[in-house]
Amino acid sequence: FDALAPAYPSLADPLSSPEASSDSASSDEEREEIDEQEVYDLISTISDPEHPLSLGSLGVVKLDDILILPPTSPRSRISTVRVLITPTTSACSLTTVIGLGVKVRLVNALPPRFRVDVRIKEGTSRTADEVNKQLGDKERVAAAMENKSLVNVVNTMLATCE
Amino acid sequence: MPTLTLLATLSPPCNARTWSSAPHPHLPIIATACSDKTVRIYSLQNFQQQSTISGGHKRSIRSCAWKPNSRGESVLATGSFDASAGIWRRWEGGAGSAQAAEVDFTSGLAGGGEKDEDDDDEWRFAVILDGHDSEIKCVTFAPTAPLLATCSRDKSVWIWEELEDDNFETVAVLNEHEGDVKCVAWHPSEQMLASASYDDNIRLWSEDVDDWACCALLSGHEGTVWCVEFEDANNIYALGSSEDLNSKQQAYVQTRLKAGPRLISCSDDMTIRIWRRVPKDKPEQPAGQIKAPSIWKNRDFEEEWIEEARLPQVHERPVYTVSWSKKTGKVVSTGSDGKIVVYEERWKDANAANGDVVMSGGTPAPDVEDLSAEKVSGSEGHMGGLTEWVAVASVDNAHDVFEVNHVVWAPRADKGKRSEDEEVIVSTGDDGEVKVWTLDT
Repeated sequence: FDALAPAYPSLADPLSSPEASSDSASSDEEREEIDEQEVYDLISTISDPEHPLSLGSLGVVKLDDILILPPTSPRSRISTVRVLITPTTSACSLTTVIGLGVKVRLVNALPPRFRVDVRIKEGTSRTADEVNKQLGDKERVAAAMENKSLVNVVNTMLATCE
Repeated sequence: MPTLTLLATLSPPCNARTWSSAPHPHLPIIATACSDKTVRIYSLQNFQQQSTISGGHKRSIRSCAWKPNSRGESVLATGSFDASAGIWRRWEGGAGSAQAAEVDFTSGLAGGGEKDEDDDDEWRFAVILDGHDSEIKCVTFAPTAPLLATCSRDKSVWIWEELEDDNFETVAVLNEHEGDVKCVAWHPSEQMLASASYDDNIRLWSEDVDDWACCALLSGHEGTVWCVEFEDANNIYALGSSEDLNSKQQAYVQTRLKAGPRLISCSDDMTIRIWRRVPKDKPEQPAGQIKAPSIWKNRDFEEEWIEEARLPQVHERPVYTVSWSKKTGKVVSTGSDGKIVVYEERWKDANAANGDVVMSGGTPAPDVEDLSAEKVSGSEGHMGGLTEWVAVASVDNAHDVFEVNHVVWAPRADKGKRSEDEEVIVSTGDDGEVKVWTLDT
């Protein structure tokens, strides 16, 4: 059973620096690959829950509103993907569901080292603060993903991906 | 500088997110609430899983708590996203001894599977507590009375009284929060409950005559408050022996003793704050001066709490849990950035140790009266302290690249234990692992 316990790298972690040593090359390649365009490609094909159209074609997600933030320190391996979504109308009641769909898509498709922050673009929704807070709440998102009817809605939205 | 060293990863891990862990009040075991609807009980002696509680909840188990002072029989409460709380029981028998834990583990191997049916059968489902409208986020037993508190996304805090075995009665439903209630924590010696909420506030609740009501509102956090916890009453002695203190320090110790245990909180706003009660000097104002501040509440009931200190901000993303050591007064925190950080409270060196000298050097010296909490409150709370908090150890990527949901201090129980009171830190993360860390100096 001792073998099951991973030997934890102490202090200097070779994976921590972007120009790391050769034994972590595969992980670095993976890191290189993910850029804003790739994130856009992952979410632009999500269907709008109301229209038979994709979030990309509706302009709900835009390449310019995707930002990848690198780890904040050499020791950290955590990158952040920040996606701003633009609801089709300022009172769109489905904004939260769209945001949830984008979040779930990215959390499932990206490596776990990415933290996914989905927010409503400033000035585009009256309920932006409320929606942002919900989407940023890990516990609420986790609970939503245990709610069958919400999962069905999100799965339908994501069915057009890949 | 102390370092955090990984001692063990509890085995086997869960294959889904683990939410939180609760060390048993006197046995060397720890219960972990898992999103796969189970609670796993691990031994802190050999770091192996001892038993599993399953079949009671339809969704994630978010939180679990042991009933204190329950010798002879272990009682565990579980709180689930399915909106219900469960009460589970198991005779302790010899399970507390190292030998029994080994036997359990061996029989588990003999059974050939990860889950040993006999072990599972030892846990008896006792009762389900229904009432909340949505996900339960936290459950906790009171240390001073047969009370259980639960809180939920439905914005309410419920207090249940255990009348006799398996008969729980709702004694209060507290509805003043304006958002999900994320965490509840009992005062160690008074019948007082703290709650932390999605509405960015903390509320304190206690019994006013016959009814539970909110006795204090602690505002200041700029995001969801994820976790609150009271300190142990003896934490004050972690600052050192009173003989070595100057007069200012002694006055501060007196203020602290009068105020009682402080509360710590952590938030989505990435800060960790310490709150202290303002002691009431005068029992009551003369009757004539009361302008009937409230018809429903007696004046004496309401309390004032101030933010006394803010811990150094090390975390770069939301802080999910803080845990206050009852043995050493140290604090450990963790969160979305995957770091585990340990902090220590110290006397502020230069000024405090040579307080009298500095005073004569021209700095307006506060006299003892100024140290009374009212004065401190006027000076922004955390500016008034004679102590400071220092981050003394931290580890990055504690659960690989995953978020860490929970940390808690637990008594060390494995063979490597170095002293009677040694503690370990147990962390619980999105990778489904439960890890045990030592703080090495």
